[in-house]
Amino acid sequence: MIEGRGITKAFKQVQALRGVDFVIPRGGAVSFIGESGCGKTTLGRILAGLESHDEGRLLRDGEPIKDFRPIQLIHQDPYSALNPTRTIAQILRDPLRLRGHPFSKAEELLSLVGLDPSYVLSRYPHQLSGGMRQRVVIARALTVDPEVLVADEAVSMIDVSLRLGILALLRNLRETLGVSVLFITHDVATARYVGAEGELYVIYRGTVVERGPVDTVLAGPVHPYTQCLLSAIPVLHGLEVPGPDRLVPDEPLDERVEPSGCLFEPRCPFATPACAQEQPLLSRLGDTPQDHACLFPARRHVVAVPAR
Amino acid sequence: METGPNSLPPPLLRRCKVSAVLRALRRRPSRIAGVVIILLFVFMAVAGPWFYPDRLPYDADNIYAPISWEHPLSTDFEGVDVLALVVTGTRGVMLVAVAAGLVTMVVGTAIGLYAGYRRGRPDSVLMRIADFVLTIPGFPLLIVLTVTIGLGAWWKMALVLGLTGWGGLARAVRSQTLSLRERGFIEAARGLGLPTRHIVTRELLPNVAPYIATNLLVAVTAYIYAQVGLYFLGVLPLDTSNWGVMLNAAVFQSGALISPDALPYLLAPLGAILLLTLGVVLIVDALEEIFNPRLRGS
Amino acid sequence: MNMGVTIAGLTVTYGDLPAVKDVSLRLEDGTITGLVGESGSGKSTLALSLLGHGNIASGSVFIDGVGDMSKMDKGALRAVRGAKIGYVFQAAQNSLNPLLTVGKQLLDLAKSHGVRDVRGAHPLLRRMGLDPDRVLNSYQHELSGGMRQRVGIMFALVLNAHVLVLDEPTTALDMITQANILQIVREVHADRGLTTLIVTHDVGVVAEVASRVAVMYGGRIVECGSTKEVLANPRHPYTRGLINAIPRLTGPVDVAKPLPGTPPTLGTIPAVGCVFRARCPIRMDVCSAQEPEMIDDVACHAVGVTAK
Repeated sequence: MIEGRGITKAFKQVQALRGVDFVIPRGGAVSFIGESGCGKTTLGRILAGLESHDEGRLLRDGEPIKDFRPIQLIHQDPYSALNPTRTIAQILRDPLRLRGHPFSKAEELLSLVGLDPSYVLSRYPHQLSGGMRQRVVIARALTVDPEVLVADEAVSMIDVSLRLGILALLRNLRETLGVSVLFITHDVATARYVGAEGELYVIYRGTVVERGPVDTVLAGPVHPYTQCLLSAIPVLHGLEVPGPDRLVPDEPLDERVEPSGCLFEPRCPFATPACAQEQPLLSRLGDTPQDHACLFPARRHVVAVPAR
Repeated sequence: METGPNSLPPPLLRRCKVSAVLRALRRRPSRIAGVVIILLFVFMAVAGPWFYPDRLPYDADNIYAPISWEHPLSTDFEGVDVLALVVTGTRGVMLVAVAAGLVTMVVGTAIGLYAGYRRGRPDSVLMRIADFVLTIPGFPLLIVLTVTIGLGAWWKMALVLGLTGWGGLARAVRSQTLSLRERGFIEAARGLGLPTRHIVTRELLPNVAPYIATNLLVAVTAYIYAQVGLYFLGVLPLDTSNWGVMLNAAVFQSGALISPDALPYLLAPLGAILLLTLGVVLIVDALEEIFNPRLRGS
Repeated sequence: MNMGVTIAGLTVTYGDLPAVKDVSLRLEDGTITGLVGESGSGKSTLALSLLGHGNIASGSVFIDGVGDMSKMDKGALRAVRGAKIGYVFQAAQNSLNPLLTVGKQLLDLAKSHGVRDVRGAHPLLRRMGLDPDRVLNSYQHELSGGMRQRVGIMFALVLNAHVLVLDEPTTALDMITQANILQIVREVHADRGLTTLIVTHDVGVVAEVASRVAVMYGGRIVECGSTKEVLANPRHPYTRGLINAIPRLTGPVDVAKPLPGTPPTLGTIPAVGCVFRARCPIRMDVCSAQEPEMIDDVACHAVGVTAK
């Protein structure tokens, strides 16, 4: 189990993370969603040991994490994640050797991620499609027997018809290898596909504003920011009808404004004077089935529902 | 199982570097020409002096001889065959240029990679030094050093040239390393716990190689000019065979600038320098393709 | 003034290879048409042909009231581009000159078309929710991704173009900004009575804004029709596979099914037969011998058979 407690991080003036707690159970799926710049990517990079944090603790089974190798990052861009001058065999050989695995494990891993080793091994990355490259990236992460895969927008640069295959692979790896997946995205539907029963963390300006099982949050989001985010998902007219309570934020995000109360107050359609005074903490105020950080939580139906 | 598109061109299986080089060269005839020129000069440097006696025969009755089969590039003020002078002079020129190039390559690459990969303080310190080296007026410094400590020995000259010329290469390698460092595959290598030595030699170096090679070749031509220039100005002892010595003699002893008879004697070493430079320029354009598997293609 | 576009039998080649082959498509006056396809499907090449770009080997691109773009000389094309056809290029977020303010670039654009009056930019920017004075005095780096996209739309329309082409207008934007941009596209389209073509890989984007959709695969249009109809009732196996591969927000997770195989690249598009057959679940013998004709808005042998 991997845990983060009170993680904060500032880049110069911008407070990227303002004390985030999270738990990634073994073999589980956890998703971070939010707008670009909300801190979700920074959090993933901190967890993968690629970025430092200012305050807070990262724990693995209760012990502070020193070796980040069990936490492997799957990059967004499979085109830059593989060294163009090395063949797939060379790319897999060195990390395997490092762990004392025989090279034959490379073939095993490639088959596991749905690639034909005889086709792939001798090739250079540019000879493979985006989807195949991302599978190689996943296979490479698996060479060091990781506990968690941190997938940061791992399918956004891949052809639409190939995306679901990668998502299905991540889901299968959870089952077959017991690897946990931290899925970072702005697309909730993909997060749901990787783990509908996992926890969804909605992150806004470096804080978690809502947290609960994916399907619970989708069925009845209570934080207005979550509601705005879910309302923005395109509706497949013809197959779906839009949710009745769709919501649009009052203002665009202005990071220069540092509210004293709720961070979402300047944009919130339901803001009250109280919201500008008090910064709500993550709780189950109002007996909601999920955690949230809103003084006036109210369930709204914003997600599109199937027609018919 | 996801396999490739069914109608992919014949499988591009593990190809050795040699065939990659050959294919890159064959793609443009100019590259072949470049290689032929470079090989010619390498051959002259290695084997040239074997064809001639240590002291070239001179013929006082036949100075500035007209161009003929016997003396295709005429003769000099002592009646020595100019072609023989060009051929025997190659070794000195190439030896210094290549040795200086190696010094530059090692120093520039090491400093550039280290600065770019470590960033922060080591980077700023090393780059200030590189800037300092870049601003050294190389040629005047060479003249001063030649006069004060003497640079007659080829290795001294190579060392001085190499150590004053690595600034540009270090900067190029550093900026390339800085941008590669942000690429996913370097981050992934760090995340996998691969040692720094592996990251620098296996992941970074092959991607920086074309820049190194290009900068190196350009530096080598600059070293040829510098060295020939020193001899031409006469600040180095003229008791050796070198194209610069020929130029010096042609201009200052034979008056080639005013006497048309001595013109071939002046033009021969100049032509050799230009031809060698041309050879370098022609193969530089193949380097990127040789090092980058993406461009190797079919 | 309404201007529809008629593309007839259009083939655009790169070298010897057709990136777009024998495509016919009508963009009706005042409609938004979505052009959906994956990378290498030829969708951007087809869109660029509306500007007369690309090596048009055969066929025509006829814009009502303007003429056949494939037959115009360079001078005529330059006059028409911008003035009659507004084009928002892919990655418009990064296509502004970083060294000039938006206002200066606007003046340059006007000058190149011999236009003096660019005051039209003000209401246009205001309509898109921007402060015109601030935006015109800004450099690229001072604007957010969504703002740059809107500036791109302003540039496309400021000379009163009536045909608007948007190439991947929301790629790299997050959900809320995407929803905002799509809303703006809808509004500006309606205000100005445009004929709009929106090129995207995202079926959701088309579903949100387009009344008609054309699906491209391997340089061909394989299906077209009203968006709702195609989404509810896809007939071509590729369209069906593409829609099935979209993960959903509600209902059973496994409704979504990955599409096997990889989309072809320019070099691997089969020269004879149906371009989709390698990935097709209902492939027949005739599919490898003969290219299906477009009958009743679908190009598929199997659909022809069942209809008869």
